[in-house]
Amino acid sequence: MLEIANVRAGYGAINILWDLSISVPTGQLTTIIGPNGAGKTTLLRAIMGLVPLSQGSIRLNGQPLDGSSTWHMLERGVAMIPEGRMIFKDMTIEENLMLGAFPKAHRAASQANCDKAYAMFPRLHERRTQLAGTLSGGEAQMLAMARGLMSDPKLLIIDEPSLGLAPVVVNELFEILARLKEEGRTIVLVEQNTHKAVGVADQVYLMQSGKVVLSQPAAEVSLEALHELYFAR
Amino acid sequence: MSELILQALYSGVLQGGSYALIALGLALVFGTMKVINLAHGELVLLAAYMAYMVESKLGLSPLFAIPLALVLVCTCAVLVYFLVSLIRKDRELNSLILTYGIGIILTNAVLLIWSADVRSTSSAWFQDAVVVGPFYSMRSELLFFVVASVLMAGLWWWLSRSWYGRAVRAVSSNRDAAKLMGINPRTTEIVSFVVAGILASFAGVAIFSYGVIQPAFGHALTVKAFIITVLAGIGSIPGVMVGGLLLGIAEALTVTLASSALQELVGMALFLLVLFLMPNGLFGAKARRG
Repeated sequence: MLEIANVRAGYGAINILWDLSISVPTGQLTTIIGPNGAGKTTLLRAIMGLVPLSQGSIRLNGQPLDGSSTWHMLERGVAMIPEGRMIFKDMTIEENLMLGAFPKAHRAASQANCDKAYAMFPRLHERRTQLAGTLSGGEAQMLAMARGLMSDPKLLIIDEPSLGLAPVVVNELFEILARLKEEGRTIVLVEQNTHKAVGVADQVYLMQSGKVVLSQPAAEVSLEALHELYFAR
Repeated sequence: MSELILQALYSGVLQGGSYALIALGLALVFGTMKVINLAHGELVLLAAYMAYMVESKLGLSPLFAIPLALVLVCTCAVLVYFLVSLIRKDRELNSLILTYGIGIILTNAVLLIWSADVRSTSSAWFQDAVVVGPFYSMRSELLFFVVASVLMAGLWWWLSRSWYGRAVRAVSSNRDAAKLMGINPRTTEIVSFVVAGILASFAGVAIFSYGVIQPAFGHALTVKAFIITVLAGIGSIPGVMVGGLLLGIAEALTVTLASSALQELVGMALFLLVLFLMPNGLFGAKARRG
């Protein structure tokens, strides 16, 4: 579904991604793990068009994505769930959700999708008129996920959902990820929690210093070998 | 004495409605584009001169100038937007210089076309006294306060209920996240300039209908709008509405209790005081936390 080939990208004079290639098959959960500063988030931002490519190409179902604007990605069925800090803090929870269905094509189904999101995250329903800035870290992450689902995307790109959350909340989040996978969505998951991420994934990529250093089907991944690579400098 | 003060409060609130309209335009544009449009007061002035022209040349009520002002002011606002969007580097700083320059050009254009004379309405209907309970005002003051209130209620509805209004708030809140929601920030920027132009049009006609205008007045309006925006806490729309009323009241009280010569000073004093005591503005604290 998503083909990333020889991508180089970065911020101004600083290059982050070095000739990176990743392939995301339809219906699978592909996880990208790696230490801080490996360029995982930059990769996701490059897919979404928030960071320009200086080399290589990104294709969605065979169509090139590079050069298309971030705000056209939802119409193409791609939604990114950024980390929970990127919710709209001075807007209510319901307003946050509705913005997830902003493109005209998704507005008709917005109320139905909103109800679905509330069913999946009942706590958001209880607080729907509160400002998003008043939510706890876990709730903010739930809101970011619910908002990302408002356009019913085929490809979900999720950035470190477990970052800074309590273990109980992390378990809850990964249950939801497993459910989303069962629904048949294609998912790209960037994570630091290797154990959890490998547990839910089909394919595992390990990134270090802007490069892929390991690519394996999740079933074959040995966590010990992974951790050795992870911490090797 | 207390009657005088109450009357000053009343006049201040009426005047504050127009101030709030002007400041809201400034705040909206700052929210979406992070640009302080220093030519905003001149846009208001342009609308005021449209009202003058319609009254003096066509002999019609200044109210008929509103459609004309809407077209002209919104066109100018979009023009300002395009000029500002041409800036590639350090837009937040360079746009100050650019819009200040546009303001000077507009002031001089007004000077060239309508000369430096002080103008005011000659419509008796506007200037008739209207009594509400124990309070007096000109009919135009009351009329345009009602207009301003309706516009603000409309703006409030638009920002909280409509798709584009919410998009404007989303872009102000978190630009990258807004892009991920499928919002093109450039569209919301143009929209915010146009809405600022609409508010400025009504405010301009209002100011002509109950006050005096002259070419240098635009700059003073920009300064007032800026004071109100900072007073409110940058980014707080309800704060701007209250801030407009506060400035109107402060000015009216100064005129009543001290002297009209100090009217412009009180805004500045209020501005410094708020910056000193509450650097986030009266309503800005919540937005800054976290």
